[in-house]
Amino acid sequence: MTTMKKIQRTWKINGESRTVQFPPARRLLDVLREDLDLKGTKEGCGEGECGACTVMINGELAVSCLLAAGQVRDGAEILTVEGLEKTPGGRLIQRSYLENGAAQCGFCIPGMLVSSYAFLRRHPVVNEESIKDAHAGNICRCTGYVKIIEAVQAAAERWPADEGKPS
Amino acid sequence: MAVQDRVAYRNVGQGIERLDGDEKVRGLAQYADDIPVPDAWYGEVVRSPVAHGRLIRLHFDPAFDFNRVCVVTPPDIPGQNIVDLMGRDMPFIADGEIQYRGEPLALVAAPTRALAREAAAHIKPEIENLPALLTLREVISRYLDGAKDLKELAAQTIVKGDIEQGFAAADRIIEGEYWAGHQEQLYIEPQGMVAIPEPDGGVFIQGSLQCPYYIAPELMITLDLPLEKIRVKQTAVGGAFGGKEEFPTLIAGYCALLALKCGKPVKIIYDRHQDILFTTKRHPVWTRQRTGVKNDGTITAMQVDFVLDGGAYTTLSPVVMYRGILHTTLGYRCPHVSVNGKVYRTNTFPNGAFRGFGAPQAIWGLESHMDEVAAALGMSPEAFRLKNALHLGDTTATGQVIAEPMGTPDVLENNLARSRFAALLRGNSHGIARDGKYHGVGLAFFGHGSGFTGDGESRLKSKAALDLEYLEDGRAGVNIRISSTEMGQGTMTIMPQIAADGLRIAIDQVRMPFPDTKYAPDSGPTVASRTAMVVGGTVFGAAEKLRKALETFAATALFGGEEVELDDNRFTGKLSGTTRGFQEVASAYLKQHGPLRVYNQFKLPETLRWNQKTFEGDSYPSYSWGCNVAEVEIDALTLELIVKKVTACFDIGRLINPVLAMGQVEGGLVQALGYAVMEKIDIKDGLYDASRMQTYVVPTVRDIPVFDIAFIEYPYGHAAPGAKGVGEMPMDGLAPAIANAVKAALGVRINDLPITPEKILKALSAHQPAGASA
Repeated sequence: MTTMKKIQRTWKINGESRTVQFPPARRLLDVLREDLDLKGTKEGCGEGECGACTVMINGELAVSCLLAAGQVRDGAEILTVEGLEKTPGGRLIQRSYLENGAAQCGFCIPGMLVSSYAFLRRHPVVNEESIKDAHAGNICRCTGYVKIIEAVQAAAERWPADEGKPS
Repeated sequence: MAVQDRVAYRNVGQGIERLDGDEKVRGLAQYADDIPVPDAWYGEVVRSPVAHGRLIRLHFDPAFDFNRVCVVTPPDIPGQNIVDLMGRDMPFIADGEIQYRGEPLALVAAPTRALAREAAAHIKPEIENLPALLTLREVISRYLDGAKDLKELAAQTIVKGDIEQGFAAADRIIEGEYWAGHQEQLYIEPQGMVAIPEPDGGVFIQGSLQCPYYIAPELMITLDLPLEKIRVKQTAVGGAFGGKEEFPTLIAGYCALLALKCGKPVKIIYDRHQDILFTTKRHPVWTRQRTGVKNDGTITAMQVDFVLDGGAYTTLSPVVMYRGILHTTLGYRCPHVSVNGKVYRTNTFPNGAFRGFGAPQAIWGLESHMDEVAAALGMSPEAFRLKNALHLGDTTATGQVIAEPMGTPDVLENNLARSRFAALLRGNSHGIARDGKYHGVGLAFFGHGSGFTGDGESRLKSKAALDLEYLEDGRAGVNIRISSTEMGQGTMTIMPQIAADGLRIAIDQVRMPFPDTKYAPDSGPTVASRTAMVVGGTVFGAAEKLRKALETFAATALFGGEEVELDDNRFTGKLSGTTRGFQEVASAYLKQHGPLRVYNQFKLPETLRWNQKTFEGDSYPSYSWGCNVAEVEIDALTLELIVKKVTACFDIGRLINPVLAMGQVEGGLVQALGYAVMEKIDIKDGLYDASRMQTYVVPTVRDIPVFDIAFIEYPYGHAAPGAKGVGEMPMDGLAPAIANAVKAALGVRINDLPITPEKILKALSAHQPAGASA
């Protein structure tokens, strides 16, 4: 067997600088889970439909199962579910999910939370419609979404003024 | 009654945050694919490419080096090549006759998933094709011709009174047929399992599963191991909905067979494609309802045929059909009933457990039909149901007397009032669109049997244990040892609530670890909406026993023989008034005597009677009740169906945790919405015609209606705290409520789930003369 030439990237993941080597076509999801041991990010479908693997790259949402890790440039800032608790807004949205009963089995929750966080940090106009738009790419089979919407609404009311930027 | 004992509950009834929530929102919960397993190999399954045939041989491609991998075929199975479910007709690995496309022909493990897949692709079966029976449509056409060449997997009847006499007493007889297709559970975490060979020759199985005590006994005869050498532990479960009830035995078996042969831990995590194609689905159904009524609306006779597509092997299908037939007439007073239940084989993946377990299929037909009967009589849907709904003292089809106060007909009355149903009826379009839309409102009323059918709970003898011991954090406390699993519904939260109240201590002194057959007794499978009612009752009883044991210990060891009461987390001497905290007494006990285990076993009332042969008697320990009202809007041009609002009322007994209960209801209703209007998966060339989330479409946040949900509490009287079960109930009634709303909107009934725009178009075209437009 020939060994495929690996490529190297240094990213700022959840606020920490991490360097990792991987074969060029390896999915970002696998690099996160297997090479960096960040197992919070989940694979639900492997085709970008369910959103369980959603992460934030340089402030934008991405489904990590559809992204070759090599496409993420050196120096990129990546946020996964494990990084949320490091910011006041991230911890707030986690707490709001708990307080509102928005997590059941929890498997879609890492991706769902990252979508909520990316939404709220833009300081958007928060109403049911805008929340639905922001989470339309995340499938949850347990909750019926009602309590997720309530959790995002509740977090929006307490969102830290200095976290994220107005879009 | 309820008000008085409510005072004793401090945790039960409170919407406390889920106790496994923090690790879930922080991404720390470990699901099957997250647990570290050093040196694990990966398993793959070689599957049949044909739906029915005879396996002649397997060709192992000489170009591939099979020394690098481990292969298991039937001769490698240490015990019997049988999946020990009902019927015992399913082999682990097909050997001879192949009954469905995708049936396992060999198992492969390799150090990487890629190599395992490569090896599997180099094993080619040579198969003699046989004619295959693939769909329920074909089954029913043969059934109506006399069913001579069909393979019957199960049959059961229910007989009450004399059906001919009932029809003779009727002024009108109304008949209808109702169909529903497969439904995929589509839990977001795919199936996953790991088997680790143990030094003593046994195997340790960990994974995503609902029922630890299905797997161990079911694998005994296959692995030829004694029960104690098969240890099963649950990992965090990312949704199940029945899909991880009986199916995990298969994947656990594949892992265990491979692990025992190659001596390495073996892991199988299905990708979504495999998970949709090669796991169980909800049974497709055909049901025919014939109802005799008097002109005043009184039901005199109900005759039902209820036929399920079992797929290729028996598995759990008989029990699904039993629950189904028991729900085909439930909720209504009727002196003469005749129900005929059947399960037939098709050459497709065996169908299995899915939230509701036959009841949604039955209630789909029943509640569509009740609207048709009302319409034929010129009665409104609610007047007809109010006239015939069961009351205290009435009997069901099996002769069970509604002997304790229940939510029938209260949930119906409550929901009709809250939804303003009578007023909404006036807005129905009846096939004449206004502003480009058709509008309709529909009703469904239904019961759901709580716990196992009949005397199943008596035969199971569900056990729970409480361990007074040092908890993970070093404090003295109580671990709840049950095999009931957390899969999102909240078991790990409600059980500590219940145990804390039985012990009368603070909830933070109680934990529920993941079930592990090494530590937990068999409290039964996590199915049938039985966990809160049956296991909750058993845990409560165990907690009371442990409280009394600790009171006795405290009295002699710490209170000088004085009588002592444990309440509100402290022991109080009845004479002296002296108090000692729970921590102090529990620590003293552990220092003196070491850990203390208390068992309790569930018992049904002695008065319960059930005949499993004739289906006469008390078919369930109790019933939950529900009513759904659906308001729909259909675009006259595109025929897009939007469910605008759902008003629902449920009696699920005592609410243990109202937030979790509401979460079950909202989530279940959305799953039922999917069943009703969008989740479509058919058989094409013996295989499902959808294999990904792009083609098997489930509701997103964009599809949900406005909800107005209420609970009415009629606690179960026999087991404190009196829950009756909520998991399945929300799945039961929304599809017929929507179909009834669609009928009200269009003037046309759709009798085949899911109700897609294509089916609406077809029904409208058949209904309207050519050239007519809406």
